[in-house]
Amino acid sequence: MTGATGGDPMTATTGRPTATTGRPTATGQTEPATPAAANRRGVPARRRRGVQWRRKDYGLVILAAPAIVFFLVFAYGPMAGLVVAFQDFNIKDGVFGSPWAGLSNFEFFFTSGQMARILRNTLVLNALFLAATLGAGVLLALMLNEIRGTLLRRGLQSAVFIPYFVSPIVISIFLQAFLAGVGGRGGIVNDALNVFSLPSVSWYTEPGPWPWILTIVKVWQLGGYFSVIFLAAITSIPEEVYEAGVIDGASRAQMAWRITLPLLKPTGAVLLLLGVGRIFYGDFGLIYAIVGDNGILFATTDVIDTYVFRALRTYGDFGTTAAIGLFQSVVGFVLVMIALGVQRRYSKESSIL
Amino acid sequence: MAAINDAGLSRRSFLLGTAGLGAVGALAACGDGSGGGGSTSGGSLSLLLPGDVPPEWDRVLGAVNEKLEADLGFTIAPEFIAWSNYAAQSLLKFTAGEDFDTALSARWLNIAQLVESGAIVGLDGAFASGDYPELQVTVAQDAFDANRWPDGAVYGIPAVNSAARLHHYTLRADLVDSYAGGSIDSFDQLEQFWYDVHQREGIPGFIRGGASPWLVLGGPTGVFFPEGWEDPSVIPVFFSSDSLFFVPAADAASTGSSDLVPFWEHQPYVDALRRVRQYYEDGIINADMLNIDTATAKGQFTSGGAASVWAITDGTSTSSQLPELSAAVPGASLMNVMPFADGLAARPNQTFQADNMVVLNASGSDNTRALQLLDWVSKQENHDLLQYGIEGTDWELVDGDRYRQLGTYANFPGYALSWRVDRERKAADMSDSEDELFTWSQDYNNFERDPFSSFIPDLGPVETEHSQITAAIAEFGLPLWAGAKDVDPGLDELKRAMETAGYEKVLDELRTQADAYLADQG
Repeated sequence: MTGATGGDPMTATTGRPTATTGRPTATGQTEPATPAAANRRGVPARRRRGVQWRRKDYGLVILAAPAIVFFLVFAYGPMAGLVVAFQDFNIKDGVFGSPWAGLSNFEFFFTSGQMARILRNTLVLNALFLAATLGAGVLLALMLNEIRGTLLRRGLQSAVFIPYFVSPIVISIFLQAFLAGVGGRGGIVNDALNVFSLPSVSWYTEPGPWPWILTIVKVWQLGGYFSVIFLAAITSIPEEVYEAGVIDGASRAQMAWRITLPLLKPTGAVLLLLGVGRIFYGDFGLIYAIVGDNGILFATTDVIDTYVFRALRTYGDFGTTAAIGLFQSVVGFVLVMIALGVQRRYSKESSIL
Repeated sequence: MAAINDAGLSRRSFLLGTAGLGAVGALAACGDGSGGGGSTSGGSLSLLLPGDVPPEWDRVLGAVNEKLEADLGFTIAPEFIAWSNYAAQSLLKFTAGEDFDTALSARWLNIAQLVESGAIVGLDGAFASGDYPELQVTVAQDAFDANRWPDGAVYGIPAVNSAARLHHYTLRADLVDSYAGGSIDSFDQLEQFWYDVHQREGIPGFIRGGASPWLVLGGPTGVFFPEGWEDPSVIPVFFSSDSLFFVPAADAASTGSSDLVPFWEHQPYVDALRRVRQYYEDGIINADMLNIDTATAKGQFTSGGAASVWAITDGTSTSSQLPELSAAVPGASLMNVMPFADGLAARPNQTFQADNMVVLNASGSDNTRALQLLDWVSKQENHDLLQYGIEGTDWELVDGDRYRQLGTYANFPGYALSWRVDRERKAADMSDSEDELFTWSQDYNNFERDPFSSFIPDLGPVETEHSQITAAIAEFGLPLWAGAKDVDPGLDELKRAMETAGYEKVLDELRTQADAYLADQG
């Protein structure tokens, strides 16, 4: 029923209603999508929407209630705790009883001399992670889609998905075996370098390569996961489109490039937006499991999350850590808004909001 | 649209079902969680303990609770928190106002913040009441006095099983026999042993997971600190042990002036840094100290992958490592070596400040019962039940007062509840050398009281600067302690970070407080 009043083919293939589509009513008719349309029928838009909401959609409220309660309790309610960022927090007096400290908690981070480095690392690492994992996901999906044997494709699909379930701790152990070996003086990579008469590298004392090492780990971990999402999107592309391509004499590669890839744009846009929303969150689990307290690597790996955790663990100052967390959230929110704006400006058909 | 799917589930049924499940979930979430096991009619105390749950814990806890309820009318419900999370988790629980009753805390954890916030209970009044005789008998007055806060109050019960906490070595005795003639009596001899083992056995001389300043900067002894072998009298002064160390003047007590200087102005410490760097480059120590945890390092040692490890005078070196080592390397044995040129005739300085203390939560359900529990576990039979398990099943008495483990129950974290110097039993398989050192370390008379023995500085005036310093030490100090960085450029980086963090202000404050302390001592 979606798109009954029209809409572009792109949204028709994904089943997503656009701003121009109408919402089907219980009688099967399509109601006007805009207030102007409602007014044309002589009913004020606000009143009409209110009447219909109460009469027809009470069930939706009940359906939505668990989710609303969930977000109120676990997302919006805890925001009250952000007040700690402006307090000289005291355990005995608690969150709402501690004295005010103004902006002094923010001074710690802004005067630490490490802010620029931590912000740079956070943005650079996450941009690398996002670009590399999405790119790898698309590439893997295209490759898997080209495999004709169903059994082989499903087998490979499962195989590339498995790393998603591997714990960061286990990944850190793998990595130590690869880069350092027992006692920190070997590792598979160094053994391979030695085969070619190249000198061993003390990976855990060289901060330079670590953004790339972490990116490779991230691709290994998430490439398969994203490929499954893209593969699901590919399966929803109508066969007719490919048949038209075949009739036009397109090769498999041309169809992948000219048909599949463009039709993956909406899915990619959603994943990109979700990724940008978290770009200020540095994948604490993976980075901390791998880098830990190795200060030598902080120059290229220390992100806001690891810094906050270390700060809380070592000197237990909730006010300071809450202030850094608030800063992180505000900047993350701004980035999401910017990403959304850019998306609406340049690719409105794939915008989700 | 009577049904929402082909199975015939009606829309109304679906909505009612969803609402019902939500209501059940909400009601479950609103419970106080007290319906779990362990709670009895007499009530149950909640304890925070670090580490993993010991094997066979439920069975032993059942026996403990049965006796505890018969004796005092209540039970205990300990909650184990992994070591790696303990500091943050326990602090969060205090912050959240949870009503647990006891926890482990210390200066290297968050006790300063807890005291400042009034989150833990002062204990002097309770002791003055005389209601807890076993507790007061088994914890020495020296231990209490050394752990008084600047306001004069005691906020934690020292959970120690020895008077002194001295850093030393556990070595593979079979390798010492092969390469050092059966004994190690000097740092030079130890160093030669490490190099010989590395050259001929192909394993590091020393292995460690996690870098610590105590390895390099003696306090008064350190693993890579030869100065401490000759003169075990220097104990650095600090706000917290994961922060910047300052060295007091040798004559501080007589002049009344601490003359504190940062550690890099104390030449023996800088020499020790150069030494550990050399060991790193020569393969004498493991190169992944910064990346592996203590359990991994221990596993490598007990599988025969190194010649020595760090030890402290808690009497657990042999029992915690020999069984695994013997299984992996038939014929292997252990010995402990204390780094003193004069052997046990040396009289090293000690502050007697406890590494671990049991604190009472001001929001706890019942502080009186918590003290009754701490008194109860100070009795030998109760201490044994909790620490070693059920006699005859988990352990047996040998040689009069030693214990031999029979089952798998082990590793109860007594340092967070029940360690008492007079109540600890030695393991039957404890090496002779560890036995001698452990016995010696339990006598307060074997040590010199440090001039700053009960000095616990107030962090309040320099909290922000100190936080910056701690962060900088984590980044620039740990690689130096591990030998992973060249000393001169590494120290330059560290000093620059310290200046940015404002260490001069911290030093001035510490000097002022230390001098005031010395003046108070007369």
